[in-house]
Order: sequence, then structure tokens, then C-alpha cells
Amino acid sequence: MIAVTHERIPLLTRDIVAPDDESGLIRRAQARDVGAFERLYRAHVPRVYAVCLRLAADPRRAEELTQTAFIQLWRKLPQFRGGSAFTTWLHRLAVNTVLMDFRSTRRRESRVQGAEDPASLETPPPAAPPGLRLDLEQAIARLPSQARLVFVLHDIEGRTHEEIAGLMDLETGTTKAQLHRARQLLQKALQ
Amino acid sequence: MNADDFSELRKKTAALPREIRPPRDLWPEIKAGVERLDPKALPSAERPRLLNRHWFPFAAAAAVAVAALVLWPRADRSGPAWAVDAVAGTPRLGARPLTGAGEWRVGQWLETDASSRARFDVGAIGEVRLEPNSRLRLLSAASDNHRLELARGTMSALIWAPPRLFFVETPSATAVDLGCAYTLSVDDAGAGTLHVTSGYVALEHGDRESIIPAGQMCLTRPGAGPGTPFAADAPAALRAALERFDFQAGGATALATVLEHTGENDRVTLWHLLSRAPAAQRGAVFDRLAAFSPPPGAVTRGGILAGDAMMRRAWADELGLVPSGLKLTETFRKK
Repeated sequence: MIAVTHERIPLLTRDIVAPDDESGLIRRAQARDVGAFERLYRAHVPRVYAVCLRLAADPRRAEELTQTAFIQLWRKLPQFRGGSAFTTWLHRLAVNTVLMDFRSTRRRESRVQGAEDPASLETPPPAAPPGLRLDLEQAIARLPSQARLVFVLHDIEGRTHEEIAGLMDLETGTTKAQLHRARQLLQKALQ
Repeated sequence: MNADDFSELRKKTAALPREIRPPRDLWPEIKAGVERLDPKALPSAERPRLLNRHWFPFAAAAAVAVAALVLWPRADRSGPAWAVDAVAGTPRLGARPLTGAGEWRVGQWLETDASSRARFDVGAIGEVRLEPNSRLRLLSAASDNHRLELARGTMSALIWAPPRLFFVETPSATAVDLGCAYTLSVDDAGAGTLHVTSGYVALEHGDRESIIPAGQMCLTRPGAGPGTPFAADAPAALRAALERFDFQAGGATALATVLEHTGENDRVTLWHLLSRAPAAQRGAVFDRLAAFSPPPGAVTRGGILAGDAMMRRAWADELGLVPSGLKLTETFRKK
């Protein structure tokens, strides 16, 4: 057995467990090894934060959603059986976290406003977050929320209309219409 | 408007990065959450998210955890201010011009123009000089987490603390101090250049990590993270080949050129390539490095070719790539 003289070795800590040994990290994290879980976090947080940021269009909220997604990951990790790629599984969990947040926000606002017209529940286009400098990123952030969610999930994250409809509890006809609307708005914004 | 009308938009969308680094390290709050929450005691996942402003606690344990999660960042932001001095010209601190000395709060940007420079103490563990045309933000002033964000420009740091107390985040990697002096530059595209003049610095991005000892440099690129370190006086041909290998998908051809130009002063470079070279070329990297610095007894060619990370670590110790006190045990090194 190999021992090390320091519990936390900064140098090449990640190199000791090669990337292709991610399954080992997952097993350790499933056994409630926080150190292994941190390694998983550091390896995957840029991907999770990216999807949270684009879906939420708000850097501060994206940070909160990313934290929530990883805490959910910690809770649900024992259920992961390796049937799908870990990255795919985590990505789905992050998207679900964001969508749950949107749904609960919508329910709250619905109770407060007593609104019945679904269109009135759509959040207004937010100001472009300061962390997103690219024109296209800014334009995506300014899309109405439902159009933005569908565009990000379909055109950036590669989900099908059937998947998106299932995630968002919509008809595929609606997701297709929202995607077309998003593309038109982006096209116009970038001209 | 038909689908073809969106072809230009689709091209731009396809070019968007799949990864974006959060502006600060989110791990402390997550760690607090996972350490305090007993997952088995948690109610259904269908409840509102933990950090939701409108969440009502319905379990005492969860309430404690949520309070920690919500308050932690605020505590950081209300931490001690750092004293900062204008060395030349008039830098900007937050929204105001800095004349003479000022107090730098967490969250504020410190900016220099073409004719201004600034300096500040990093708590009690070091000092930093900020060069012209730079933009630097204070992310955390906690005693165990001195953290800056260098958005662009150049800074020089001298740190005399134990490892892993001082961090500089850039658009393409995080520089982790291991007890050192270094200069770090970031250009407008987010690409970085690190030059270590004393001690050691680690550059981290996702699961990619480079260790840069004194006398070495390393480039970083957004999305790719840190490249392979190289000697500050490495020949231009070696630097160019490394850049092709690290950031331009240069593959086997670029690596062959790298190997051709490496000498005994390039052991740090060769060591990093042990894990980054394609399997087919790993043997050539091993042979090149072994020619300049034979591996310790416990390290075998077969083990390295098989990707044995602990063997690579042991060889790193032998090469002086590891700060003292962080080495593997003598048992393994002399086995």
C-alpha cells in the first residue's frame, strides 16, 4: 500500500486518480468521501455552471443553482448505477434543478399575482449579465425565459423537442414554436 | 423564414464554449452543505431549492445548513479590507479614483490604466504589484482563502504563506500559490502567461493541473486550461511546438517536435508529458526523460506506460517538482 506524508497534496492531486478512473471517484463519493466529491465538483463545475448560467441568465442565480445542483448530486449519488455516462446524468440533474427553480418561481408568482394567462407569467427579458461579453451570449440572456430555455436546451445542449417537452411539461408544438421564436429574436438582435 | 435562414446563427451557437468557470469558488458553500446535511434525513427532492430566498425551513438541521449556505458568501464579503496604494498615476478602486492609499473591499475591482500602477498587501501573507492596463477583483479576504480575479493585465505576487492560501482566478485557469513569487498576465482574450521566479505555483482548470517550479513558465487558454510548463529560456521552436500540442490539436506531429527540441533543462516539460502524451508516444517521452533523470527504483517503464499516477508522482518528487513537506513517503520512493 502506498502512503503519502500529507493528507492534502496540492501537487497533481487530480493526477493521482487519472481522468479515466472517474468511476473510482464516484464510488468513493457514493461512500460519502467528501474529498472525492470535491474532485468530481472541480472536474464538472464549469460544465454545470455553463448550463445554469445560460438557462438562468443571471450570474448570481446561476451560482446558487450550481450549488444546489451539486448538493442534490451529493444526495442522489448513491442512486447512480452507472447505467448512463456520469456527465450526462449530472447534466440532466443540473437542468432539472434549474427547471424546478423556474417552476417554483412561477408557482409563487402565480399565487401572488393570481394571473391566469400563462404568457403573463413569463419573466421579462433580463438585462444582459455582466459576466457574458459575447454578443450572442448577451442576446440569449435577453430572450424571454421560455424561449431562452428551449433555445439553450435544443441548440446548445442538443436536447430533442420530445425531451424538452417532457422536461418543461409542454407540447412539442410549443417547444418548436418557442425555438423558432428564439432564433428569430436572436437573428434580429445580431443584425 | 425557413431553417436555412438560421445557418449563420447555428454556426455561432456551435462555437459557444461548453464550459464556463464560475466567477468564484463555489465549493466552500457546497462543502458546508454536504457536511451538515444528512442525505437520508432530507425530505423529497421536490421541495424548493436550498438557496431559494423564499424557502421556509421545515427541518431544524436543514435550516442550520441553509443559513450557513446563505450567510457564508455575505460573511466573506464583509471580511477585512486590504490596504492598497497607488504607486503611479491614478488607478481606480471600485467606482472612485485612487489617490494615495485606499481600502479594498471584497467584490471591488482595482483597475489601472496605461499610466498607473498599484500595490497592496495580501493580508499578512504577501504582497502584490499591479501593472498598467490591468483589472483585478478581490473575491475573498478570508485568512484561509485569499482570492483574486485577474480579468486582464499583469500582476506580480510574492507570497510567504503555506501552500494553498492564495489563489488568482483568470478566465482560463486558477493560479494556486504553493509558496512562491511569480508574474501572471492575462490578455484581452483571456489567455494567460505565468512565470514563476521562486517556489512553486499550480495552475488548475477542471481536472487539468500543471505544476510550475521556479524558472518555468506556463501558458493558459480559455476552455483548455493550463498548457505544459516549459523553461523560461526554452528555445522558440520548443515553445511553438508545445503551443501547437497543447492548444492547437497538434497531436503526434507537434509532440515529436517537442521531444526533438527537449534537453536536460526540460525535465519539467517532459514529466508533464508523461500523462498528456498519447499512449503510442508515451514510451518515447519516458525514454527521453529517463535519459536525463533516471526514475526512482519503484517507478517502472511499464507502470508509466500503463498510466500509473502514483509512479508519476514519485518521479516528480525525484525531479524536485514537489514542494518540501508534500512528498511521497520514503517507503515508496526507495522501494
